[in-house]
Amino acid sequence: MFPAYVENPNNCRFEGQDEGEKVLLLLRAHPITNLAWIIPAILLSFAPFSIPGILKFLNLDISSIPQSFEIVFLIINYLLVGVIVFEGFLNWYFNVYIVTDKNIIDVDFHSILFKNIDTAPLRNIEDTSASMGGLLSSIFEYGNVIVQTAGTSENIKLESVPKPHIVADFILDHTHKIHTKGGINANQPH
Amino acid sequence: MPTNPTDIFNSEAFLVTLKAAVLLILIFYAIFSLIIIRQVNLMSKTLITAISPTLKILTLIHAFFTIVLIVVAWGIL
Repeated sequence: MFPAYVENPNNCRFEGQDEGEKVLLLLRAHPITNLAWIIPAILLSFAPFSIPGILKFLNLDISSIPQSFEIVFLIINYLLVGVIVFEGFLNWYFNVYIVTDKNIIDVDFHSILFKNIDTAPLRNIEDTSASMGGLLSSIFEYGNVIVQTAGTSENIKLESVPKPHIVADFILDHTHKIHTKGGINANQPH
Repeated sequence: MPTNPTDIFNSEAFLVTLKAAVLLILIFYAIFSLIIIRQVNLMSKTLITAISPTLKILTLIHAFFTIVLIVVAWGIL
């Protein structure tokens, strides 16, 4: 339903997309990385069931507190669960890497209202490298891809993307295509 | 003289403080829900996908629910 690796995605556009610029690849972190917020959300959703046991262990009797407080605390607890899930999903869904026929774009939302968009033209890309490390990475086949750019511009790091070696090869292939096209055009008589 | 913790839970002052604390948390939460609306708008503008309208509607429902919750909590506590 929400894929992390999409070649030629339909119905997907981004801010600053030029007319005629085609999205070739849309990448997100591998879905398994979402466990970082799914596990706390599950634990928190079970928290209300453990509170009576904890109070009994601490020898505290809160039976005098009206039940309306308990209901409100329960609602607040599940609102928190909802926020963890929603924020986790938003961060995963909107932190994307986009490869177009002209550029490679890294869209980052670091905190709740701060975004950072790095763009590197494909013609400036010199090299790509893919790395996978760790148990989960090996099982689910995800890792980092580092895209080295020419000049002083910062390298772009695609973190925890699925099929990192295929992604690195995909980017390099399209970079070579642009370089070849540029080379041919440069040699053609005007 | 040692105080029994159960006495504290029984006191009126404790319940009033608890009500104020709950309402304060809910007010902060409502402000946070409004920030989420802004956040989703910003994200949807940056990456335009098919589910963006659904997410916007969800955030509006969520914000409405948090404001209703403040009113309800004010009434029942």
